[in-house]
Amino acid sequence: MANEGPRHGWIRNLAILLVLWEVAGRFQLVAGGALPAPSAILARFWEDKSDYPPHVLATLEASFLGFLIGNAIAIAAGVAFVLSPLLLRLFRGVNIAIFALPPIAISPVLVLTFSGMAPRVILAAIGCYFATMTATVLGLTQADPRSLDVVRAYGGSRWDELRLVQFRSALPAILGGFRVAAPAAVLGAILAEFGGGGRFGLGTYLLGSLGRADPPRLWCIGLTATLIAGLAYAAFAVAGRRVTGTARAVTVPTAAPAAPAMGGNRATALLLATAAAVLPLVLWWLLLVVLNVPEMIAKTPAGIVDYLVLGGGAAQAQERLLAALAQTLPIAVIGLAAGLAFAFALAVLADLFPAITRSFMPVALVTQTMPLVALTPLLVLLLGRGTPLILWVTISVTFFPAFVTIAQGMAMVPRAALDVPRAYGATRLQQLRLVSVPASLPYLFAATRLAAPRALLGVMIAEWLATGTGLGNLLNQSRGYLDYGMIWTVAAVSVLIAVAFYQVVVVLERWTLGRLGMRTTE
Amino acid sequence: MRLAIDRRKFLKLGAAASAAAALGGRAASAANPLSMQAAWINDAEFTGYFVAIDNGYYTAEGLDLTYLPGGPDVIPESTIVAGKADLALTTPDTTVKAIAEQGAKFKIIGAQYQKNPIGIVSLAAKPIKTPQDLVGKTLAVPPVNVISVEAMLKLNNIDKSQVNIVPYAYDPTPLVKGEIDASLDFTTNVPFTIKQAGPEAVSFLLYDAGFTIFNDTVVVTEETLKNKRKELVAWLRASRKGWDENLKDPNLYPPKFADTWFKGTGRTIENEIYFNNAQKPLIETPAGIFSMTDEAIAKNIEALSQVGIKATKDMFDASLLAEI
Repeated sequence: MANEGPRHGWIRNLAILLVLWEVAGRFQLVAGGALPAPSAILARFWEDKSDYPPHVLATLEASFLGFLIGNAIAIAAGVAFVLSPLLLRLFRGVNIAIFALPPIAISPVLVLTFSGMAPRVILAAIGCYFATMTATVLGLTQADPRSLDVVRAYGGSRWDELRLVQFRSALPAILGGFRVAAPAAVLGAILAEFGGGGRFGLGTYLLGSLGRADPPRLWCIGLTATLIAGLAYAAFAVAGRRVTGTARAVTVPTAAPAAPAMGGNRATALLLATAAAVLPLVLWWLLLVVLNVPEMIAKTPAGIVDYLVLGGGAAQAQERLLAALAQTLPIAVIGLAAGLAFAFALAVLADLFPAITRSFMPVALVTQTMPLVALTPLLVLLLGRGTPLILWVTISVTFFPAFVTIAQGMAMVPRAALDVPRAYGATRLQQLRLVSVPASLPYLFAATRLAAPRALLGVMIAEWLATGTGLGNLLNQSRGYLDYGMIWTVAAVSVLIAVAFYQVVVVLERWTLGRLGMRTTE
Repeated sequence: MRLAIDRRKFLKLGAAASAAAALGGRAASAANPLSMQAAWINDAEFTGYFVAIDNGYYTAEGLDLTYLPGGPDVIPESTIVAGKADLALTTPDTTVKAIAEQGAKFKIIGAQYQKNPIGIVSLAAKPIKTPQDLVGKTLAVPPVNVISVEAMLKLNNIDKSQVNIVPYAYDPTPLVKGEIDASLDFTTNVPFTIKQAGPEAVSFLLYDAGFTIFNDTVVVTEETLKNKRKELVAWLRASRKGWDENLKDPNLYPPKFADTWFKGTGRTIENEIYFNNAQKPLIETPAGIFSMTDEAIAKNIEALSQVGIKATKDMFDASLLAEI
């Protein structure tokens, strides 16, 4: 968080937490001993230490390559979008799709389409793209107009403006983007390792270890992944501070950058919107043609229409898909609401009792980067295999970014606005209710936009790992049945749903904020 | 911004690069390249191939073999369709389903396991020894294998709604802790793991419950079969030699691979030794390893027909085995 509290308090809280964890683990207090004690995890690490280097190196290699490629594309795209608002409009669909797509749905598709390290690198790169691209666009457009005027007055070209003013002013923002992108690259690489084959990588190691009924090993691998993601984040936080001399608060990009209003009639606007919606499909098609993937395993948009509407087994395929959607969608909406409610409650608590929140943060960060596969046995033992488990997983993948965004909104409420109720003797709670909460409404919407696609991801993960229901299970089962049509259908449908979730929130947001006379956050 | 390189230069570069690649490729391999996609991560299931590679049996047959390990989410059949491998080790039910229902052009040219090692594993304290014992119980099954379990239940006149089937993520912890009553896994492997975690385990094979199919069937595309027949026969010969050598003393080879094939898999060598011993009776057959007798093929077809998978005799091609 932006305002660091007293160092010692933080360390003390962490120490208390570790002691509690150790006691719970030692005396097998949680789920009949399925939660291992920290000391048992460390001891296991010491025993297995020679196993780790090749796995860690493989994960680092894929994440690093993905980080380089993803960010290079992201910065190039950001620059192109700033130079050409038309391009930004055309790519709006692609940007939102990349922002919203659930990685578990596209990982099998990547593994079918590419080979070797490529799926890992691509998923890592996709993890980076959005954060860095939005940061680049934001940074470039926020350059001081007076400096640009100076360059222009001396006859500088568009390139000179970019080089002399905009890149320099964008550097802190881009570094901020890298900071969010780095752990995302690590997680993307690990996720693809689950599906990619190959001998080394932390994801592969985790899978190999699953069969050993050895929770300390699973936790150790999960925490190693967390540590790498955390170090990647810290490295760019330090770099950012060194380069810019400023520290910026954690921010999570919550929306695809929108193009500035352009002249032109409604027909042009409609044409552009249609083109933006069709472009992701065209790119998907082109990619398969360029890569020359056999038709049987790689389905184009036409292939999916054929599978789902025209082909022989279409009726049965539709039935299976609809049954799965009927299980997944309601719980995804409930999970989203629960995740947001939790995030909101946490943000209010953070405002009232900052110290408690700070000590809670390390735990929250671990839940964000620890691969869920490692936690599944524990979660299943604690919560069973029903709705509570799905809700818990969904809350855990949605609340953190939502909390960060809402807390940011509350922190940005102008002091002057708070002074009014304070002068009339309002309590902290009344200040919250009357000023902070309404004032941070735009951030609540931003948080919803951010959390909506993730809620779908959370539900699918829980279905895949534990409950054996819905879209997550359909995806998993289709892989076993070599039902390539269904694998691609689930991938496409889940991306479409995630995008639809996102768009619904955008519409609601515009409507509500418009009525209240407020502006959206971006 | 303008790109610093023009189209013609770019094309030249591309041509030079591909020429270099072609040269490099030719110089590197005098032997015939062949690649195989395994069905799982490196464990004792594939010891025979590791022996054949390390002892130079493939090289002696003029093969330059590339070995691709699998994993829970790797679909071996996809690898051969995509042309990333020449042959794959698969489960026959999914392969036959793909041929019958999607028109996939696959041929099964051999079978590593005469008897599928997959079975129902439970704790000795709460044993499940027959299919009937499963009624009213919770059984964890990898989604890939759900059809096999449904077939076994049907063969034993049990309605599948009577068993609570949940997804299995290959982690025996829920079984050890009693959250589930049984799981579907390799009986050659998991009982050992469970014993290491404390309790004693029991198991029975789906094969013995009437689901009489092979496993780790050697599958190729019809195109590969036509173009690389000689190499495939050579592969079968070398692989059989590797398995014969390995199974002579199942305790001998796993320790030798501790720092090579089995390094970093997260499993112990004792586990691999147990596995290697347990799989011996499921692999060995008087007709020679990999063999597919008419009788065995008929049993596969019969078992698969129980779940509505229409296997036919021409999906199996035993003629390469005859050429060994």
